[in-house]
Amino acid sequence: MGRPPHPLAVLTAFRFTWWQRLALGWLVLLVLVAAVAPLLPLPYPPGLPDLANMAVPPFSAARHWLGTDPQGRDVLSILVYGARTAVLLTLPAALLAALVGGLAGAAAGFWENSARVPLAYWLVGTGGTWWVLQLPLPMLGLGLMLIGALLALLARLQNRPLPTWPLPVDALVVGTATALDTIPRLIVVVAVVASIGLSAPGLLAVMVLTAWPPMARLVRAQMLRVRQLPFIEAARAAGLPERQIWFRHALPHALHPLRTALPLSVAGLLGLESTLSFLGIGLPPEVASWGRLLATVRDEPSAWWALLFPSLLLTLSILSLNTLSRMSTSRA
Amino acid sequence: MAGFIFWRLARTFLAIWALASGVFLLSRHDLDTALRLSLPDAASQAGSGAALLPENQQAAQQALRRRFGLDLPVFYVSRGPASPAGVRPWHWHGGRNQYHQWLRGLAHGDWGTSFRTGQGVAGSLRHALAFTLPLTGTAAVLAVLSALALAQRLATAPWWQRPMRAVLVAVHGLPLFVVALVLLLVFANPDVLDWLPTYGLGSPNELNPSTSQQLADGFLHLILPVSALVITAVPELTLQLTAALQQELGTAYATTARAKGLSAAAVVRHHALRNALLPTLAQIAEFLPALVAGAVVVEVVFALPGMGRLLAEASAARDYPVLIGGVLLTGAVRLLALLLADLCYLWADPRIRWQS
Repeated sequence: MGRPPHPLAVLTAFRFTWWQRLALGWLVLLVLVAAVAPLLPLPYPPGLPDLANMAVPPFSAARHWLGTDPQGRDVLSILVYGARTAVLLTLPAALLAALVGGLAGAAAGFWENSARVPLAYWLVGTGGTWWVLQLPLPMLGLGLMLIGALLALLARLQNRPLPTWPLPVDALVVGTATALDTIPRLIVVVAVVASIGLSAPGLLAVMVLTAWPPMARLVRAQMLRVRQLPFIEAARAAGLPERQIWFRHALPHALHPLRTALPLSVAGLLGLESTLSFLGIGLPPEVASWGRLLATVRDEPSAWWALLFPSLLLTLSILSLNTLSRMSTSRA
Repeated sequence: MAGFIFWRLARTFLAIWALASGVFLLSRHDLDTALRLSLPDAASQAGSGAALLPENQQAAQQALRRRFGLDLPVFYVSRGPASPAGVRPWHWHGGRNQYHQWLRGLAHGDWGTSFRTGQGVAGSLRHALAFTLPLTGTAAVLAVLSALALAQRLATAPWWQRPMRAVLVAVHGLPLFVVALVLLLVFANPDVLDWLPTYGLGSPNELNPSTSQQLADGFLHLILPVSALVITAVPELTLQLTAALQQELGTAYATTARAKGLSAAAVVRHHALRNALLPTLAQIAEFLPALVAGAVVVEVVFALPGMGRLLAEASAARDYPVLIGGVLLTGAVRLLALLLADLCYLWADPRIRWQS
């Protein structure tokens, strides 16, 4: 009886609510602004103090549309370039953390502590490490590597299995994740960032370091479930090698929880980045950031515009990411 | 049970040791900046004339290195300079290295000396803790109590459940420093609501305040920081506890209790609550260390002289001994929280008590 479905009905398969559409729209807008920030016709560059107009309210002085902060820098430019900093830092950090956490957690869940590595590869690995570190008698390392390679070659030629040695993947991954989770993220980051200095790549590395453990844990738990499913057994019965079963068949299913975890992780990293900038730790002072703009409010409590606009952007972005993560769960 | 608790604490202890060692070894690769920052500012000594000469700077840095034991090798082994053959040989240093000295000092209760102030780290941390403990302790107690009260009301599904949940979810996502700044600029701003004092601890306009006045003053200064911590801590606890309570209310024993004619509030209080508490107790182990991290933000926003601000300033000045002390102290809080959570388990769940 019904009319033919509208061509755009495909989109409704995602079952976005209005809130989620709004959230997605806001985030896309933010990423677009961040991408084209250098091309936008902003009246003032972000870092340059305009000493004639310090702490002017919005819409009053010449072309400072959102006012200036107590040091005379244009709020609008700081917001735009702060969005650029936030997007360029948190998105790669979350994606890298998802990659590291996903692979480590999936390996830990699939093999647990029973992964067996052939003795020949152990020999190659040990010898290589020996040689690279230049421990005494570097020739010994080379010799070990050579013996290992010969053994592997022999086994391949004669089609005979090599003796193996277990590698406790699960204990390694879970142990490292627990160690990194013992102390709150902010304290770890504050301590480590002080040691490696102020730089964007350093901050990115620290963010990845602290963001991967929860993801690894989620993927590991899912992998423990996926591993028991019949299709894995079928793949094994078909004689596929273990590594291929893991990568091609189990991994895509085990990565499901990341659809929820990724937006939440980006939201957490966004909060962390702005908190660090607010504290004056992490990024060099000349990098525009919402957190640093918020920090200037303490010098000039009457400058409500320096508080309202960045905290509004931050709140909207974090709430949008939270909304988006709930969408994924309702679909899954 | 005792064995389980012991192993868990031992594992956590190991993790803290590994983290602190990691921070210690990482911090040693860029000591020059730290020493330059810890030297008296060159500009402030311009009057004395001699301070600006590079040789004097070098000599001062050397003296500092000797004083803090930084002229020793960092770890048990190190690589020497490259020999003509291109091989960099390994050297074994034995116990005469910075890491060994640091560990031995820790074992004897010596937490090291601050680069910046030259005072003992343990002493300055103790001073700071005397302030931070009341702050975070009050916040922790208030947050747990209000989460308990709120979740019990929310679980009976009153008409304000949905808007309240929306508010909680929204607040849950906000960074702490935004909440603290908004509180500061709304309730302690002469332009908006001038109800509470802004910065620091004491009021400067009174020369000799009496003890009771000092107490009242300190109390007024603590209202906003404690509220900021509570506001950010409550949503997570409440949402979790409400979900657990609602799950318990769907079970058979809750139906029986309702069939006896008990009111909804009584079913929650006397029957469901204790069972629903178990997952929340596990959260406490996360929640107490998180409050210490929260103190870093809150103390910077409200300019309070506690441990959090000590850490933030140490990070900016690269005062590594203080930072490592902070990591160790947070680890100690974590150990305490784990112990507390396990003891609470024993109290809440008789099954665990009888098994042990």
